[in-house]
Order: sequence, then structure tokens, then C-alpha cells
Amino acid sequence: MRGVARARWVVCALSVALVASGCGGGGSSGGSGVVRASWGDPQNQLEPANTNEVQGGKVLDMIFRGLKRYDPRSGAAENMLADKIETSDQQNFTVTVKDGWTFSNGEKITSKSFVDAWNYAALVDNKQKNASFFAYVDGYDKVHPTSGTATAKTLSGLSVKDDRTFTVKLRTKFSTWPDTLGYVAYAPLPAAFFENHAAWLKKPVGNGPYLVDSYDKGSSMKLSKWDAYPGPDKAQNSGVELRVYTDNNTAYTDLQAGNLDLVDDIPSAQLKNVKNDLGDRYINQPAGIIQTLAFPMYDPAWSKSGLEKVRRGLSMAINRDQITDQIYRKTRTPATDWTSPALGDKGGYKAGLCGDACKYDATAAKKLIQDGGGLPGGRITLTSNVDTGSHRVWMDAVCNSINNALGNDRACTVNPIGTFADFRAQTTEQRMTNPFRSGWQMDYPLIQNFLQPLYYTDASSNYGKFSDPKFDNLVDEANAESSADKANAKFQDAEKILAEQMPAIPLWYQNGSAGYSERLSDVTLNPFSVPVYEQIKVG
Amino acid sequence: MPEATEGTATLPAAEEQAVPKSQGRSDGAKPRSLWSDAWRDLRRNPLFVASAVLILLLLVMTAFPSLFTDASPRDGNLQGAFLKDPEYGKVFSAEWLGYDGQGRSIWARLVYGARASVIVGVVVTAAVTLFGGLVGMLAGYFGGWLDSLLSRLTDIFAGIPFLLGAMVVLTSFDVRSVWVVSAALVFLGWTQIARVMRGSVISCKQADYVVAAKALGAGTGRILLRHILPNAVAPVIVVATIALGGYISAEATLSYLGIGLADPVVSWGIDVSAGKDQLRNAPHVLLFPALMVSITVLAFIMLGDAVRNALDPKLR
Repeated sequence: MRGVARARWVVCALSVALVASGCGGGGSSGGSGVVRASWGDPQNQLEPANTNEVQGGKVLDMIFRGLKRYDPRSGAAENMLADKIETSDQQNFTVTVKDGWTFSNGEKITSKSFVDAWNYAALVDNKQKNASFFAYVDGYDKVHPTSGTATAKTLSGLSVKDDRTFTVKLRTKFSTWPDTLGYVAYAPLPAAFFENHAAWLKKPVGNGPYLVDSYDKGSSMKLSKWDAYPGPDKAQNSGVELRVYTDNNTAYTDLQAGNLDLVDDIPSAQLKNVKNDLGDRYINQPAGIIQTLAFPMYDPAWSKSGLEKVRRGLSMAINRDQITDQIYRKTRTPATDWTSPALGDKGGYKAGLCGDACKYDATAAKKLIQDGGGLPGGRITLTSNVDTGSHRVWMDAVCNSINNALGNDRACTVNPIGTFADFRAQTTEQRMTNPFRSGWQMDYPLIQNFLQPLYYTDASSNYGKFSDPKFDNLVDEANAESSADKANAKFQDAEKILAEQMPAIPLWYQNGSAGYSERLSDVTLNPFSVPVYEQIKVG
Repeated sequence: MPEATEGTATLPAAEEQAVPKSQGRSDGAKPRSLWSDAWRDLRRNPLFVASAVLILLLLVMTAFPSLFTDASPRDGNLQGAFLKDPEYGKVFSAEWLGYDGQGRSIWARLVYGARASVIVGVVVTAAVTLFGGLVGMLAGYFGGWLDSLLSRLTDIFAGIPFLLGAMVVLTSFDVRSVWVVSAALVFLGWTQIARVMRGSVISCKQADYVVAAKALGAGTGRILLRHILPNAVAPVIVVATIALGGYISAEATLSYLGIGLADPVVSWGIDVSAGKDQLRNAPHVLLFPALMVSITVLAFIMLGDAVRNALDPKLR
């Protein structure tokens, strides 16, 4: 009996705790002027150079400003903290930082803030996911050797001239390099980041229009306006509460019920009703996003020679038109290359580079797969997270399409993973043995960004570990071109290699879609399909 | 309880039923056992007849789905049949109950989905009854340290929340077939039966006929199987029959949550889950599989109720 009494005590203590935390969790929402927006947990701690996924990127975009910023409307790279970036040879750049910027803890932003941050990002010991973005800088091979330990602590290509200027020496010519500097990996970092790293991670200090107030994993992150923000794009609301949803349908229902102000991922099942429900509070616009199915090329079962036929065959077995028409109601466009129409001709987009391999042809698909030796193991599974993007639905449809083409209703099955963060962990740790979703939201509007980070040997987001020397060469050559047009042509040639090798099947170009409540105005999506939070007005 | 007047005629407790049984034999008259009494009651119970017919139908569906539909449950036609509305006039045709969000015939999916539900329900119930029954019988009959050990083991497993435990077990499997899901449910579900059996055995083992059998030198095995089991098993059967419906709904729940059965197995739970997102545009996608789960669970629970009424004279 004593055991029973004790157990009752435990239950009481637990219920008190639950009530207490329940009060703390739910009470404070919807303060005036605060935007309540849908979100998903980021994969990692929010270090700028260690975040290469969308959800973490949203926050970093709110709390950091870099040398450049992509115009929320046009996507063009414009100077933010950079006063000017000069070069005479496309290889040596002199960066001048604007005066008057500080971090939110008051620390002045100098050229050292950038150089230290970049050195930290590049150093192999720090295991930053975006380290390879610094591979263009001279000395990267010393601080981030492909194997073994670093022989230098800092990038030899970076040097601080004075408080406001530093120089960058690149490994090769890279004419459009300054345009990449709006990406969050290039953000400056305060001294506090290096001095007390743990405390910084708990409460990141940046230089953007918002401050992080608190973060409850799995629940929400609260950000408030930084009143003393020195930049031109001050927050027009008093703060943003990012709420974690594991199902975009729930988020949409909450929006309708008035419990949420902004949903930036309209579930496919609601696309039919969304105009009725929201009227002109529904945004649907092209964005720099492509969805692909990547193959685990690190697995010999998928990469051995001859399997490119199977990979191409699978691509041809997918009826993209049907899926984008019926399930996505044309908010996706069938992909015909590996980039995005949002780049425009100037950015290097060229339709149809995938050729026949992206056109649906069931008989040809079946033949190709048979010629290539059939599916590895006789069957495949598709893996994706299913908390966003209505991924479950298209995976089922793609599987059906493949099964129909092969005449085998058990050839393809889906493996849904509950949360984005979990899915990311599984792909980055290379635990996939079958095709998996690889969505790519551009970091900057250049064709280079759709190809190099994804398919270059050992690149930061090359989760399938595709490697092809011809592709690498073409990318290197393209980066060295002095004019954008010539560079784009080389990149497009590189895409043709992807069409042969098919390391990832292009599925469709994704539109940015969002809906918002009547409380909000001035809601827009940038070309990356991320809401421009700082412009949103409440009330 | 409609049979109340009839029931008062029979004896009040299960173990005493055995006495007239042995007497009956010596008299040479036709013996009326608990079981024949129960069967007589059941046949007259409309609840039993209705549920038995439904269950029979489900069993036929499980064994021969192609008798009910020509359509394939996995063959989707997005272009022509995406979320198509039901055509109730065309009874039992592929388009009868409409199509789901992948352009698959909902009727075909209902028919083929019966297999997973029925197999999980029956397999889990059988395994749980065997294993839980064995544990309960050993604990109840031998008592002492074995009882303490087995009862504590039962307590430990009973302490694990059923659904939560099943989730934890199932997430550690990559391929979740009917057998894996069944195993997970058995793993956590046997405790109820074990407790019922133990209680029942304890009350039986003090009965005169057991003492008599012991005095006559019957072995433990014979006592357990010939004297205790037949007299202690009635409550277990009642609990098991009612639980069967529970296991079917547990399977549907787990499949709905995405951690039960997985493609390419056709399961009502998976279909309910897929249908919930389309509720506003095409309610039939959710409605029919949900209805099917309800009808099936109801049928088994009704059966369990009827069996309990028949077997437990105290309830009359």
C-alpha cells in the first residue's frame, strides 16, 4: 500500500506541473501588434553558417543582415551592410562596410565581425554545414581539408585592412561572387558568439530588425522588434511569434479560426477552397523553389553503372502534369530542368534542359528500367517529411504513377517521416537507401546556386553524394567566366550532364503560397517564398 | 436483459454448473452444460444474429475480396477519377462509393481493407488469449512465488499506456506489416486476459470437484486442462470477444497516426487519415472507411456483449 500512496504523490506533482506549464504555454499569445505565423522546428541550433534549411533560414533572415540583401520584390542583390564591393579582376575583392551598424547588444559591426564569422564558418573543426560556401576563398583547402585536420585556423584569402574594409582573394575568378553575399552564411557575428557560444546559441544576438525572445522546441519561437535597429527595413510590427505546426492542415484551420495570422504553406487539399476562404488574402506567386527526388548515390545499389537508365526511367514514369494539375491545382509547374523559372533568362534559367527524361512516357520508362537491370531490390520507397508541403499526397501519386508504368502495384511505396527536422537529420546523415525528396529553395537568384551546392562533389547540400568530374569541371569553368551570359551557358551545359546521369529527378517548380488573417496588411512573399516579416503591418 | 425470466432457472455461478453436469451423466439424461445453455440463448438473441451475419460477411470479404469488386485497391487514376463523387445508384460497382485523392475506388479499398483489420483483430485476440490465458492460469493455480512473479510482470505491462507503448514499439520497425502490428498489440495487450484468467482460476481451484479430482490422484496437467480450464475460460472468452473489436480499432488508430500499417497494405485507418484533409471537398473519402471501421468494431462488440449475456448467468 505504501507504493500506492507514493504513486499518488507523483501523479499530483505531475498534474501540478502540467497545469503550471499549461498556463505558461498558452496564455500570452496574440498580443497586439504581434504576427502569429506558422513555422516548423529548425534542424539545428541557429548558427548562420550551420543552417541550410528553410525553417531555420526564416529566423536567421529576421535576426541577421549581411553585406547584401535580396530585394523582397525583385530578388536583385542590393547593398545592405556593404558600402561598396570593388574588384578589377573578378578574383580580388575589396569590401567596404557601412558605418553606423551595430549588433543588438550594442557591439559595433566592423570588417572584423565578417572576417571572424567567415573564418569560423570555414574551419573544419566547427563542422558548419555551409562551410563549402567559403570554398571559393583562397586558403579554404588549408582550413577545411577533405580529410585530416586543418593546417591553418584562418582563411589566407581574407584580411582585415581597417575597421571598415577587408579584402577577399578568391581561389579562381568568380564574377558573380558579390551577388552571393546576401546568403545568411555570410552574416557577421558578434564577439559574444565566440566568447560564450552556449549562451549565444540559447539566445542568438544578431543585427537584423528582430530579437529572439524565447524558443520552445516543438512549440514556438517569439521574436520582438529591435527598436534601435539601424537599418532601413525596420520592422513594421511589434514582433513575430513563429508557431510550430506538424501538419499544414492544422495551421490552415487555425488561420480560419483566427488563432493564427499567417500560413506560408497552403495545404494542397485546401487549394480548391482557398480563394473562397481568404479572397485577396491569399498569395500565390512563382518562387525560386524546385522539388526533386534525389538518389542516394553513395549507395552502390543506386550508383553502379547502368543504373542511370533506371534513374532516367523512373523520371519518365512520373506523370508530372497529372499531379500538378489535380493535386496541386497548378500551384506547381512540371519541371523541365534542375533550376527555377524564377531565375529568369538573366539568372540562367532555360526550359527543357532535362529533355525527354522529364517527359512522361510509361512504355519507354518501363523499357529503360528493364534495360538498366530493374529497380534495385525489385522495389523502391520514396521518403519525405510530411508535415509541410502536402508531400504525402504527391508521394502517393508518384508511386502510383511509377506502379502503373511498371504494371506492378507494389513496386513503389512511400515512407512518410513526421517532421522536417527528423527528415533532414536522416538525409544529412545519409541514412537513405532509396530515393528521397530534395526540395531546394534558392539562397540567391543565380543558376550557380541551383547546381553547385546540390550536385558538385561533396558540396554542402549534395546529400545523395553525386560526383561527376565532368560536371565539376563545367561548374568550375562557369564560375571563372567573366560575363554572366557565358557563365550561364556553361552551367546549362552542366545541367545536360545531370540529364544523362539523373542524380535527382526534377519534379516540379513550386510556387510560393501563403494566406493571412484580416488583422494583417502588407503581407508579401519574397522570391524565396519566405514572408517578408518586417514589412507586415498588424491591425 | 431480455432473457431475465428465463435465466433465473439456471444456477448462479460457473463452477456450480459442473455439478449438475456430472449428475446428469449418471442419470443418463441429456446433460445441459454451460455451453449448450449459452448457445441456446445466443441463437435467440437478435443482437447475436445481426453481429454474426456482419462478421461472416467480413470474413468472406477477407478471404475472397474479388467476389465483391473487380477494381484494384491500389490502381489510381488521377486524371479521370480524382476525388470523384459517389454514384450510389451503381451498387457494388467500382464507382459506387466514389474515388479518393489518388483516383482509387473507395469501394475496392473498403473491401480489400477488411483483410488487414480482420487479420489483426483475430490474430491478436488468439495470441493474447493463448499467452495471457497461460500466464493467468499458471499464476492463479500455483500461487506463491510464481503468482507474485507473473502478477508483477502483468502489472508492469499493464502499466504501459497501450497506444503510447504500441507507438514506441512500432516506430522501431521499418517495415510494418500486418504481423508486426499484431505483434505490437499482443506485446501490450495480453495483461487483461491474464488478470481475468487468474481470478477465474483462483475461484475455480477451491471448488469441490477440483478437490475431489486431487483426492482421486489426478495429475496437475489433468486438473488444469480437464477441470479448471473448461470452467474458468468463460469470462476469458467474453473479454476476448469484446477486446477483438478494440484491437481492430487500435489498428485503425495506429494506421491513422501513420505508425500502424503502411503502404502497400490497404487499411481503413490509412484511408481515414488520407481522407481527413479532403473533408471539405470530398467528405465521402473520409466517411466510408470510417463507417467501415465503426461497423466492424460494433459487430464484434455486439458479439462480445451477446456472448457475455449468454455465459454469465449473474447478468441475467
